[in-house]
Amino acid sequence: MLIVTTACKEVFEAPPQALMLATFYNSTTKSVLSPVVTVLGVGRDSLLADQQTTPNVLLPLTLLDTTRYIIWLDSKADSITFVHQTIQKYASVETGFYYEYKLLSVRFTNTRIDSLIIVDSLVTIKWNENIKLYIHPLPDSVN
Amino acid sequence: MKILSFTFILCLIASISFGQAEPKKKYKPKRTDQYIHMKGIRFGMDVTRPFQDLWTKGNRYGNEFSADMEIWPNLFPVFETGYEVFKIKTSYVDYSSNGSYSRIGIDYNLLQAHTEKDKDVFFIGLRYGFTVANQQVNNYTIGSYWGQQEGSFGNQSYFAHWSEIVFGIKGQLFNNFYMGWTIRGKMKLSKIGLEFPPIYFIPGYGKAEKGFNLDFTYSVYYNIPWDFRKSAGKKKPEVRKGIKVQKK
Repeated sequence: MLIVTTACKEVFEAPPQALMLATFYNSTTKSVLSPVVTVLGVGRDSLLADQQTTPNVLLPLTLLDTTRYIIWLDSKADSITFVHQTIQKYASVETGFYYEYKLLSVRFTNTRIDSLIIVDSLVTIKWNENIKLYIHPLPDSVN
Repeated sequence: MKILSFTFILCLIASISFGQAEPKKKYKPKRTDQYIHMKGIRFGMDVTRPFQDLWTKGNRYGNEFSADMEIWPNLFPVFETGYEVFKIKTSYVDYSSNGSYSRIGIDYNLLQAHTEKDKDVFFIGLRYGFTVANQQVNNYTIGSYWGQQEGSFGNQSYFAHWSEIVFGIKGQLFNNFYMGWTIRGKMKLSKIGLEFPPIYFIPGYGKAEKGFNLDFTYSVYYNIPWDFRKSAGKKKPEVRKGIKVQKK
């Protein structure tokens, strides 16, 4: 009976998410870097990424016009503010709706970040590199 | 080489003789039942509409009624009308749609009656269907790192129309009571009214995103045996053993 009930229960997928992919590069050598990354969304209590050694990070955007993150790269903090448009999209009658975004501009502090390039301003459910973050290499860095 | 030449000549002769063969004349015997089989109007109710959610996604149900009459021998103008509701509720969206629809068309009976009492029909037909409906997204939920966002879309009205090619049977169970099924191939003509969110369900048609929908209906009918021709005082053709005799 339990098997039949379980088999008959319809399971629907969650709505897809449009996430912005940021990749870290060495500002001197232009090669990909893998710093220890911690990310906190301004206004949130929980961390998006906690001490992860990674060459890139996926950043969700808010429904407002701006999204602000504090990002620690090898324990050095920078803030990044993304100004964007939000576009509502329809997925299906079972999963409902999701949002896509168009990046308009980016502001950031220069503690560890040297420069930033928007590669693809459209943040869609097909995740691809949206921004290149050029960061200063650490003095004793081997990257 | 000789064999090859022989084969070639044989093929040539065969193709010439095939080309010259007299085309077979298609002989189609004339119908002998060119008379009105069914007097009066036949009203029907589709018994499958209330139970559609047994074989469709979500909760789909409704009612459909029909009326047809044999205006000309073997030709049955048909009017069908109904009401349908579609609801689906998942963890992420609560959607509902409802509306009434109508179809007008004509059926042609392919089955030749042997006696006047033989009233079963096997028909093919065409329909034009249209609906005025509305849909609501009562609630939707989008979750992300930034929190859960909820929203809704209010009542949105739309119009849609489509064409159908149908075939089926209607068999007389007993005096004036009929039963029969119909297979329907539905082709969407257009839908007008909504930009966002898109129309998901068209009452009477089905999924709006599909250009072609296949459907099955099963109905019970009752023929009100009111001879409107007699009432109108028109000349009524007399039938004797399937042969029409015009009274002078």
